[in-house]
Amino acid sequence: MSVAVTTSGAAPRTVWRRGILASRKGRWGFGILTGLALIAIFAPLLAPHDPNAIDATRILAKPSFAYPFGSDALGRDVLSRVIYAYRVSLAVAVGSTLLAFLVGVPLGLYAGYHGGWVDTAIMRPIDMVLALPAMLLAVALIAIIGPGSNISALAIAVIYMPILARVVRSSTLVVVSQTYIEAARARGTRSRRIITRHVLPNAIGPAIVQATILMGFALQIEAALSFLGLGAQPPTSSLGVMLADGRDVLTQAPWVEVFPGLAIAITVLAFNFFGDGLRSRLDPAGVTE
Amino acid sequence: MSPRARYVVRRLLLAIPVIVAMSIFVFLMIHLVPGDPVQTMLGFRATPENVSTVRAQLGLDRPLLAQYLTWAGGLLHGNFGQDFISHTPVSTLLAQRLPVTIELTLLSMTLAVAVGVPLGVRAAARPGAVRQATEGFVVAGIAITDFWLGIMLVLLFAGIWQVLPPSGYVPFLKDPVANLRYLILPVLALAFGEAAYILRTTRGAMEEVLGTQYILFLRAKGIAERRIVYRHALRNAAPPIVTVIGIQFGVLLGGAIVIESLFALPGVGRLIVTSIQQRNYVVVQGGVLVVAVLFILVTLATDLVVGWLDPRTEEGAAT
Amino acid sequence: MTDLLGLEHVDVGFATEDGRVSAVSDVSLSVSEGEIFGLVGESGCGKTTLAMALMGLLPATAHVAGSVRFQGLELLDLPPEELRKLRGDRISMIFQDPMTSLDPTFPVGEQVAETITAHRDVNDARARERALGLLGEVGIPEPERRFGDAPHRLSGGMRQRIVIATALANEPALVLADEPTTALDVTIQAQVLDLLRDLRTRLQTTIVLITHDLGVVAQICDRVGVMYAGQLVEVAPVAEIFRSPRHPYTQALLAALPTQQQVPGSLRVIPGRVPNLADPPPGCRFSTRCPYVMDVCATVPPLAHETDEHLIACWLSEATKQAGRPDHATAGGAA
Repeated sequence: MSVAVTTSGAAPRTVWRRGILASRKGRWGFGILTGLALIAIFAPLLAPHDPNAIDATRILAKPSFAYPFGSDALGRDVLSRVIYAYRVSLAVAVGSTLLAFLVGVPLGLYAGYHGGWVDTAIMRPIDMVLALPAMLLAVALIAIIGPGSNISALAIAVIYMPILARVVRSSTLVVVSQTYIEAARARGTRSRRIITRHVLPNAIGPAIVQATILMGFALQIEAALSFLGLGAQPPTSSLGVMLADGRDVLTQAPWVEVFPGLAIAITVLAFNFFGDGLRSRLDPAGVTE
Repeated sequence: MSPRARYVVRRLLLAIPVIVAMSIFVFLMIHLVPGDPVQTMLGFRATPENVSTVRAQLGLDRPLLAQYLTWAGGLLHGNFGQDFISHTPVSTLLAQRLPVTIELTLLSMTLAVAVGVPLGVRAAARPGAVRQATEGFVVAGIAITDFWLGIMLVLLFAGIWQVLPPSGYVPFLKDPVANLRYLILPVLALAFGEAAYILRTTRGAMEEVLGTQYILFLRAKGIAERRIVYRHALRNAAPPIVTVIGIQFGVLLGGAIVIESLFALPGVGRLIVTSIQQRNYVVVQGGVLVVAVLFILVTLATDLVVGWLDPRTEEGAAT
Repeated sequence: MTDLLGLEHVDVGFATEDGRVSAVSDVSLSVSEGEIFGLVGESGCGKTTLAMALMGLLPATAHVAGSVRFQGLELLDLPPEELRKLRGDRISMIFQDPMTSLDPTFPVGEQVAETITAHRDVNDARARERALGLLGEVGIPEPERRFGDAPHRLSGGMRQRIVIATALANEPALVLADEPTTALDVTIQAQVLDLLRDLRTRLQTTIVLITHDLGVVAQICDRVGVMYAGQLVEVAPVAEIFRSPRHPYTQALLAALPTQQQVPGSLRVIPGRVPNLADPPPGCRFSTRCPYVMDVCATVPPLAHETDEHLIACWLSEATKQAGRPDHATAGGAA
């Protein structure tokens, strides 16, 4: 027995056609994201120069044809650096959100489906985490464990997990109140089957939308942490690290600061637009924020 | 006791276990550090004697529960421990730094609300040119990282035009004008993103309210549109808007860390960051705890305000 | 009796993603002062849309054509501000669902009082006085105590009374009541209907009662207009309509009412489905389900006087056939 009519579930093809491709925002978002993903994946092929190649002859050179983003205080090509740094940042952003998704969604599903003390037992600690401002929590975690890209990814995952769990729980509550769930129960279907076959496909929509949007913000958080020296550690460079570097030469060579920031902004935008495109199909009720 | 009073008391009581749990987490921070925290704090030059002395000083050799109770007891007396480097009481440090963070947060949120709410209302009530313009603002505000914007502002106002200082701070009471001059750029950087977020929330909430039956009925009664928007719609749209404002206020209190670092503002956020770099765990503990508690209190206050706004909460309908 | 309200060739269309939806098609009718006119039809037949069009409350996607004359004024030509001044003052509307008609954050008494201050130059105290009086008139017990209550403290029936009180606050000449009793219990229904009837008696208020409930129509209406898929198909005094319905749709509607003589287990239904208003059938929109359909039904039958008081739009009727002849001007409805 396959999935019946739902609040927010939709076949992938419909989501694609009527959701992402239907809205202009969705199309743009998808297009830009694909482009960015390709850039990140094929960085070695796309970067015109070695990002770590020091060149004393062109310190702080203005953007030019050969060096479209200019060069930094050590003569390194900013464009190549941005591309490689982007890889790191994007990996952290996507990885952390995925981790949060994989942990948060089952928890939220379980809490929403079973209700009662299970719900309380799961959601209370989760709400505690939500009671802390995100940056503070991330910084505190890093204070304990130590800095690094992986740790910042972990910290972001810890921040995002409660959010996704809550979203899934809300939509689960809606789905569970539908009669087809009652019908499945009445047929004697086992809980686990009900959850995976009926509840999950219908409740997961808003969580996917939320995760998409969160990925963009994860990029910003990673940048903030790296900017403070708590994220990517040398020699690894992420966009945040570049923002910190750029500050030192701000007035002489603003391009070192401008381009990494633009890269972040465009990515956040793309994720937001893409999420909006998904939203019309996956989350018509507006459970996400 | 009236239902409303009961609701308030209940919320207050609920906040206590959260604060206690928070304190446990913060307390455990120093113990979760891999390796020996004291060794890490003192660095390579520490001799075994130093290490055991400091350990005894910090009470780290006693059982966990005893440590916690002593520490918690100390907190209630205002004793947050000592900065092990400068030997200043942490409470003094916090008392110096907190006003800065609060001023920054207050100014930023005020600006953000003053811009975001009216524009959001306008965009919802009168779709058209206003809406298009705000759409762009919202998109930019959300996508642009606040500290990057701060750096760009510094580039512009301190670097190129040289009309404002790039960093630094003077207490308000000492020199109000200078104080504000130092704060303009950080406040702008923070307020831009916040205003966009608040605008979007306001616009969304207003749009939803303006589509309801009771608004339609008000129009059927021939009430002037202006009154409908401001006295009826806004009042009904207020809960989510106020909630977001409250949450963001709390977030700024603890999250303006980067902006504080960027503009060298001596706030709590920056204190926490430098303390982390110095492995000054006692200070980190104190800072994190204070900010966390403030955040919880702000969230609580927001909930109460929202509850007051909506008469239906009396019946215990709202959580 | 003078005509208070006169509609001529009113047409309402909506621009939607799926094309233009024709919600109301060429409706002409008139209502006399002091009359209780019932507008009947199933959900989606356009009766609410018509009422909203009169009030000027349709969204921007709606396009309204034709003429609506009220007390000599052409409503469709009025600038929005002038129309607003009429609403709540000379024309009032009562919505169907009392649970969602009132602002949840505003005290009920205030909601009545604000209707008064919006249109009359009185101070708040006087408005409050009058509002209290109105609460009493509509049967709210202990109006003083209830004045400051928020809507959620009142039952559905009470809320509907508040809605009615606001509608009557400025003693309008015309009240459009859209399914005022549908969401209420039968006993409360009767009380609300009594209220409306009382209004007409005391103040000569004209009432257009929109409903799909023929029972309600039988109880209080003087005349009835029947709509189907946006078209007005029959208009007659209430007794006539029940005794001798002429239009096939009206006949089917009445036949579908369960009666005591019926064999249990058999419900007479009208076969077929309501047409898609984005792509309606040409001519008479009931033609796709009509047992007497003829070729000529592909042309819109004009509404014509079968008798002095009974109008019908159906090619089966002699009157319509007469009116449909090319040498007649396009028939409009006259009382």
